[in-house]
Amino acid sequence: MEAKKGETYKVLKEKMTISQEIKDNLKTFTQIKKSILNALKERRMTVPELSKAIDMSTDRTMYYLMTLLKYGFVVVDEIDDMDEYFYYKLKNNG
Amino acid sequence: MPENNKTIEYDALIIGGGIAGGEAALNLANVGYKVLIVEKDLSIGGKMILLSKVFPTLDCSACITTPKVSEIMRHPNITVFTSTQASNIIKKDDGTFEATITKQPRYVIAEDCTGCQLCEQACPVSVDDQFQYNLVGRKAAYIPFSIASPRIAAIDIANCTLCGACERACPTKCIDFTQTVETYSLKAKTVIIATGFQLFDPTLIPRYGYGKFKNVITAMQMERQLAPTRPFNTILRPSDGKMPDNIAYILCTGSRDKTVGNPICSQVCCMYSTKQAQLLMGALPMADITLYYLNIRAFGKGFNEFYAQAQAMGVQFTKGKVAKITEKENGNLLLRYEDINGGGVVKETEHDMVVLSVGILPNQGIAELFSNDELVLDPYNYIGQSDFLASPAQTSIKGVFVAGVASGPMDIPDSILSAGSASSDAANYIRHLNKKTVSV
Repeated sequence: MEAKKGETYKVLKEKMTISQEIKDNLKTFTQIKKSILNALKERRMTVPELSKAIDMSTDRTMYYLMTLLKYGFVVVDEIDDMDEYFYYKLKNNG
Repeated sequence: MPENNKTIEYDALIIGGGIAGGEAALNLANVGYKVLIVEKDLSIGGKMILLSKVFPTLDCSACITTPKVSEIMRHPNITVFTSTQASNIIKKDDGTFEATITKQPRYVIAEDCTGCQLCEQACPVSVDDQFQYNLVGRKAAYIPFSIASPRIAAIDIANCTLCGACERACPTKCIDFTQTVETYSLKAKTVIIATGFQLFDPTLIPRYGYGKFKNVITAMQMERQLAPTRPFNTILRPSDGKMPDNIAYILCTGSRDKTVGNPICSQVCCMYSTKQAQLLMGALPMADITLYYLNIRAFGKGFNEFYAQAQAMGVQFTKGKVAKITEKENGNLLLRYEDINGGGVVKETEHDMVVLSVGILPNQGIAELFSNDELVLDPYNYIGQSDFLASPAQTSIKGVFVAGVASGPMDIPDSILSAGSASSDAANYIRHLNKKTVSV
């Protein structure tokens, strides 16, 4: 198959099989991203609050929330009254 | 076997594009020699480019490294191959070397990439970011890190779903999935080994709970948290995003410890921990920082003053070997240790975050790169220095020199000095070879 500029991935796609692990990873990330962004649509939250809202452990919530912060979906808001946890909110919903 | 085998010729082959390899390359290039740097990662700059600040001056590490790597990349006498490894290095009878150079595809046409990151934004895949020591994710189409050099995208083919989103988003159409492995036959007059080091894997000490207790992190993970290009918005606990206010450091994690196979001192942990403690005092003014140590080795220029400065700032230094860490329900950690200066009493203290000051280890497989001559290693598997006092860069193979931590643990200034020694010896060796050729 000849490679057309801008569509070269099609050439590799014919030669390579995408593993189930890679597909599962994409599915997991997409689901978690959606649930975090949906939860933050309601109101700003700290990591423990978000963890409860999406029913996921705090360490995994922290990892995915910080990843979404890096990707630009989420921004940091104020710190709580006890100076312990930051609030996070959607980038365009603050 | 890839078909694209080309023959290339340089005066010097430098294996490793960290600060030592880069410095050696600049020294040789500045006196007119043609240099090839082969770097296994996607960017040059080694570990130094990922640090926050350096000790004992507290200068910004990126501010020192980025102009240096930029100079290396732009130097007309230096060629840099990233994602590349050298192998099958053969010393010829005339004193020159031949090697096989294998360059992995980046799936991006380097000359056309502007580093705009639109491919990164379009990519739907997220995997652990190795440059942030797995504290956050990164995309499968990605710029390794913001100050990477070269600052061009790469495709992580092992995690790519081949959805084509990156290609569609790329304004210069520089993503090319048809790229394959390139091999080169290299002829060089000298070789400098600047392969650096690897960090001790703390999961080998299960009693510290690294990997199991989320608030036990390595010093390199803390280094990333302290850097301006940090993974979180500030210094936070990975378990729940709480700002820590009582942090402990455990020094000699994986150094001076026969039980984990590394009986020697890593030379840098005392000072990088002291540095991080000072930076944390600045970033978290209300936090208590305690360093649990066996001996503080403040041996270099300005090190003892740096140690005294940390004490004056309020950093607590406790002489004691930590035996065990247990985790409380709230993520806090209980450290059980022998308080040596307190009469040898066994004590338990609570901290909300623990940083393991992991030691450094030699990279493996360097001796195996040489085919017809033996590259002798020292008893700790660093590159052996055959005549340490007369020529610290000389290895067991004439014409092969060692620079930086590949020869043993040392800090950044010593690595740069070592690179100076290696480049000076390498230049001499090339000159002798050239004279021989002329006289023949």
